[in-house]
Amino acid sequence: MKPATLEFIKQRFTEYYREGHLIAPPSVSEREWGFMYFESQAAAISMHRHMAFSAKRELFDYIRNVVPAHIYYSSAYYAEPAAPTMGEKRWYGADLIFDLDADHIMKGPYHLMLSKVKEETEKLLEMLTEELGFEKRAIRVVFSGGRGYHIHVTDISIRSWGSRERREIVDYVRGIGIEPRTIFSRDAQECAGGWRSRLQDVMEEYLAWLKERSANEALEHLTSIGGIGAAIANDVIKGIEDMIGELHRGDVPLLLRRRGVKTILSEKNPEFRRRLEECSARADEPVTTDTKRLIRMPTSLHGGSGLRVTPLAVRDLPAFDPLIDAVVFGRREVEVEPALTTSTRFLDNDYRVEKGVTERIPEALAVFLCCRGLAEIAGGRSIAAG
Amino acid sequence: MGERLDLKFLARYPFLKESQEYVGERVLDLDRFLSSGYGRLILNRGAERVMASIGFKGVLPGEQVGEPERALYSYALARVIVSCIGERDLIERLCRYEAAKATALFLEEGEEGQKFVSSRLGIDLGSREMPVVKYVELASFMRSESWRLVNRAVCRGRVRLEREELIELMREQIRQIIQKQLPLQVNAELCEKIAPMRQEILRVLQEQTLQQFGEVQESSFPPCMRALIDAITSGRNLPHQGRFALTAFLHTIGLSNTEIVEIYRRAPDFDISKTMYQVDHIAGARGTEYTPPSCATMRTYSLCIGKDEFCERVGHPLRYYLRRKKGAKKKRERGSGDLPGDSPAGAADDGEIDEERNRVAETIARHRREDEEKKDEEQQS
Ligand code: SF4
Repeated sequence: MKPATLEFIKQRFTEYYREGHLIAPPSVSEREWGFMYFESQAAAISMHRHMAFSAKRELFDYIRNVVPAHIYYSSAYYAEPAAPTMGEKRWYGADLIFDLDADHIMKGPYHLMLSKVKEETEKLLEMLTEELGFEKRAIRVVFSGGRGYHIHVTDISIRSWGSRERREIVDYVRGIGIEPRTIFSRDAQECAGGWRSRLQDVMEEYLAWLKERSANEALEHLTSIGGIGAAIANDVIKGIEDMIGELHRGDVPLLLRRRGVKTILSEKNPEFRRRLEECSARADEPVTTDTKRLIRMPTSLHGGSGLRVTPLAVRDLPAFDPLIDAVVFGRREVEVEPALTTSTRFLDNDYRVEKGVTERIPEALAVFLCCRGLAEIAGGRSIAAG
Repeated sequence: MGERLDLKFLARYPFLKESQEYVGERVLDLDRFLSSGYGRLILNRGAERVMASIGFKGVLPGEQVGEPERALYSYALARVIVSCIGERDLIERLCRYEAAKATALFLEEGEEGQKFVSSRLGIDLGSREMPVVKYVELASFMRSESWRLVNRAVCRGRVRLEREELIELMREQIRQIIQKQLPLQVNAELCEKIAPMRQEILRVLQEQTLQQFGEVQESSFPPCMRALIDAITSGRNLPHQGRFALTAFLHTIGLSNTEIVEIYRRAPDFDISKTMYQVDHIAGARGTEYTPPSCATMRTYSLCIGKDEFCERVGHPLRYYLRRKKGAKKKRERGSGDLPGDSPAGAADDGEIDEERNRVAETIARHRREDEEKKDEEQQS
């Protein structure tokens, strides 16, 4: 990055922080803080952690003076957050965090990744509130400023949970360790939603898909599943209609007693498991089970995009569009030199810049492109290995 | 309820606050108490309680509470004893035992008494459900996959449960209550008084552990651990979590640290002092002893590789090992296959088992030889 570009970005960040848009997380003084600076970005990525602030003011002053590129704090609460080792920090709790990152879900243009990951986030929220019963008041959704969303559950009753308990929750939303047989063996009289109904839908979908295959295709698919030979496969194919019927009548136990069905529902059948995975909420598991993660501070700026790490109420998520609502800079025009030819949807417009063709674009877009390394401010001197 | 809280009732549930208060109010000076003849008698009872917990395998032989005051005191002293000894395994055994005992007594309890205990525990046996948060806190300690939240009917923040399941969770909760208070802070002088029984308890504990795990039998290793060993042997690098899991596993089933290090010798980046340090660390030479991760954790780190039929009945690689090993042993004794619940019967016949029994030792020996040969070659060239 050219010095002029760095200077430009840093000035914009400074301006944003000076204007006072910051909101501190609850219990500032019990969190560990970590920062990455513009100056050290060119070097190996280095995070400065184990920092602590006794009050909101002190934190804000620091941010305004130093203007870091990335700002993080611990989901954990510590007695001595600045201590260098975990033992000395004395952990006494942590928020429950979910990380949904489009990178783990799909590849594609940025705005499409963002809308897919938003769907995933909505699914997760629904599971957390409707099924697991967490109160919306205790849930904060945050656009990460990058490729996804974070969910912070601050419910005090689960703050002291270790990884073991957190894993139960994240495995639930991800559908990890699911055993269709076990689920259907339970009495569903008063509670048939959640994974049971998702499973039922997926089974229906799968059987319909299988029915549409030609006899040969179906046979080939079924026999590719470990443990299913031609005889069982033929049984299954002949029985498809009946199975669909059983499913509709809700007679799953009967369905499960058929030869081969248990195997079809097991991990040995990637086709079925893939569909099941589709209806899980794909949060990144290690983030949730880690009780001492550093997480981006909501209301700070993401140094790799210049977008605002935006906190949202659960009810505001559906209408939220990150490429409009997380943009904090203005439309004053700036001249940039694109490093790559790029098409971007931004502030409700489609922009296209050509590699090497200097162009005047809105400041907000310039910050976005420069932060992502897709453009430089025009006219500045370049330095070696900048 | 006041009347119900008579001494006999308290003695059945010594973990209740009231029971502990009762003891606390009467035994003000533990040191003096233990110097009396009565105190020494109770101390022995406490030690018996600890011994019973070591042998405890999940089934209680129709336990009698006995004279209530004595029972209350001996519970308190059992806790002192395990705290002085400080073995984590011992503490865990005591907690499991006491929890099972209290639960068994609970089931015999009259309606009013049951109500009291369950309200103290916050578990309503009649409700057939439990809030998610509480469920997770209890069930995350249960091994079987059927306890996983994902396999449960969960609606609006509540988990549906059968009465039997609620009882199991109740036992787990009692276990947790007891465990949270242990080890107690006991001063060194007091611990001196139990020193004479310390040796004996540790001996029995070790015997029990050995009996449980017995000789190392590689043919009974779960697929995940075999995969990790294969990875090392074929010269691939293991991620930290993999090393941790394997080391903790091998340590728990009884391999010595040197034997474990020998296995790592094959790793491409083998560094003896570093490996030694890591193994010592995980295997507890530096204070904390780590237990190997459960299947759930293994899955999280993508280390659950090659899951087979046995896996479906277990939630922990150690369980897998024990089960298969037991299966193999019974089979050897009976000389025929078809053990209910321990199929598949492909498990190997007698000859194979004997052959495989010392495979770990052999592998180690071979590696050592090969390494020496390599060294020789290097010197010659
Ligand atoms: S299920 Fe458990 S024991 Fe089996 S391979 Fe996976 S982690 Fe290992």
